[in-house]
Amino acid sequence: MLEAINLTKRYEGATALDGLNLKIEPGEVFCLLGANGAGKTTTINLFLDFVQPTSGSAKINGLEVRQHPIETKKYIAYIPEQVMLYRNLSGLENLDYFSGLAGTAHTPAQLIDLFSRVGLSPSVSHNRVSTYSKGMRQKVGIAIALAKNAKALLLDEPTSGLDPKASSEFSELLRTMSAGNVAVLMATHDLFRAKESGSRVGIMKQGRLVDQLKTENLNHTDLERIYLEHMHD
Amino acid sequence: MLWRIARKEFTELVRDGRFRWSAVFVLLLLMASVGMGWKNYREVSAQHRTAQEAMRAFWLNQGEKSPHSAAHYGLYAFKPRTPLSLVDQGVDAFTGVSVWLEAHKQNEFKFRPAQDATAVRRFGELTAAMALQLLMPLLIILLTFSSLAGEREQGVLRQLLSLGVRKRVLALGKALGVAGALGAILVPATVLGVMALALTDDTGALAGSWTRMALMGFLYLTYFAVFIVVSLAVSAQAASSRMALLILLGFWIVNGLLAPKAVTDIAKRLYPTPSAFAFATDVQKALANGVDGHNPRDKRNEALKVQTLKQYGVSRIEDLPVNFAGIALQADEEYGNEVFDRAYGTLWQTYTNQNAAYQLAGLVAPVLSVRALSMGLAGTDFEQHSHFASAAESYRRMLVKKMNDHMIDNAGKQDFAYMVNAEVWKTVPTFEYTLPDVRWVLGNQITSVLLIGVWAIAGIVALVVASNRIRTD
Repeated sequence: MLEAINLTKRYEGATALDGLNLKIEPGEVFCLLGANGAGKTTTINLFLDFVQPTSGSAKINGLEVRQHPIETKKYIAYIPEQVMLYRNLSGLENLDYFSGLAGTAHTPAQLIDLFSRVGLSPSVSHNRVSTYSKGMRQKVGIAIALAKNAKALLLDEPTSGLDPKASSEFSELLRTMSAGNVAVLMATHDLFRAKESGSRVGIMKQGRLVDQLKTENLNHTDLERIYLEHMHD
Repeated sequence: MLWRIARKEFTELVRDGRFRWSAVFVLLLLMASVGMGWKNYREVSAQHRTAQEAMRAFWLNQGEKSPHSAAHYGLYAFKPRTPLSLVDQGVDAFTGVSVWLEAHKQNEFKFRPAQDATAVRRFGELTAAMALQLLMPLLIILLTFSSLAGEREQGVLRQLLSLGVRKRVLALGKALGVAGALGAILVPATVLGVMALALTDDTGALAGSWTRMALMGFLYLTYFAVFIVVSLAVSAQAASSRMALLILLGFWIVNGLLAPKAVTDIAKRLYPTPSAFAFATDVQKALANGVDGHNPRDKRNEALKVQTLKQYGVSRIEDLPVNFAGIALQADEEYGNEVFDRAYGTLWQTYTNQNAAYQLAGLVAPVLSVRALSMGLAGTDFEQHSHFASAAESYRRMLVKKMNDHMIDNAGKQDFAYMVNAEVWKTVPTFEYTLPDVRWVLGNQITSVLLIGVWAIAGIVALVVASNRIRTD
């Protein structure tokens, strides 16, 4: 579903991403781990066509992102570190607006059902988003992805700043989505969450994917050790 | 998708307390200025009608007197107020709307700028038009400066674009949403204004103003559209919403405050007008000494006597079959008319040149084009003032000639002792003035029409280009 082929991005004198090769199948959660500036967000930006690759290509559902910038977005949903919504609109209105822009129309009842599916009480659906916590906004982000029926999720530090309960709920939602054959690419600093949520983790350093591991063969301690070894190289 | 974006933008704006307060403020100001304009229009129109009727009655009831005395008695002509003058009083307040018509003189009410008034006064004062020309653009700027820049800063833009929304569709949708929110202010003000006019108009003037009214509405909508698209284009390209606000406020200040004054001063420097004193002195000199300074009145009179005697084949004034005093008066009048035509023609041409320069400056500040067109459609611009002045002057000349001709044909040897009564006064028709049609107005303002069109097209192109180049980081 998501594929990077020799994907490279260079800015003036600096390589943000260096020859990334990666394939994420439906139902798989791939967590990109790495320090700040390792190239995680650049990878996501390249899949979103927010930046142009210097070389190589990013593909979504077999389509080259650069050549099909609008069509490829039909298959994906993007959840940033902070899902930003319109403060003067209610949660339901935001969900209706964003899902409508994605090309999927829903009845109010369906939208409230989506609210429930992501763990938000229907009673808050009519409250303005300015009253929502960050965790609630992140869940609205997931609801938008569900409403869109996205085939792939691009997540950029989605649990950063969430309390453990909210973070756990978010991971649970991800597992539910991947079980529905959604491919997930998540950039994160959170080793624990990566192990819990991911089926595979990739460790990035200075723009290069230096290691890929299957989480089923790892425990938390192993992952932390391997990660730190790479960081100290 | 476009309408969904527009609807969201509209909903979000009308729920924003800042918009509500500023909208209420602008709406109140607009309604107050329209209300004051309407009151002024009603009062002045009624006064004009009363005065015009009174003048006619005075003329008809002036009693027995010499026709030439009657020409001196004269009368006032009043420029009719248009319903749209309640929106834009234009130059009327400064040039005056009435003129005293009498023999020998082309009175100077319409040349106040030559009487050392500041030139900027000819280009308007604070009215509903000013609120539309200055306050609405400011409101638009405050509503739109962070529309795209702010969403980029907050990260909403990335989320929107990740959904596959085309950048230009997003920008145009926002423009429509802002336009809708502005409609919430403008529609009530317009409806109330038109209703007030329709309910109280008893002259039929409103019925003849629909085309002008529709064009004025279209003009202001185009002007607001220019500000919306320019503001969004700046918001799309500015490094931050704060920078967008600074740039747009700078543009607003230049457009609305600096350019009108600066351009007026530049136009006056390019095409200087004489002072009232110098102008009056030149006219008096020309009347006394001839246009070339070598043809004094007594010399002209002598030549006229010789020519008249020769024309009638007699050698003495007493033998003429017509009244020579009447002939001399009309000849002097016609000579005076030549002098006035030259002097005022030059002065008016100077004003026309100044106005042309002013209109051309609409290329850098759209308010200049809008101001010129708004005054034109309201019937209160310089060109229509000049049109009225010409009509009044033609009427004056007709009236004086009628009196002089009557004297020539009927006074015999009595000269100024010849008396006539109301039967003669009735032969002078009432002064009727009809505003020029809207094509004439637009023809005079063609530069402004073209430039506001250029601004609108350039603004849309700028918005499409700027939004396509908008950064997401």
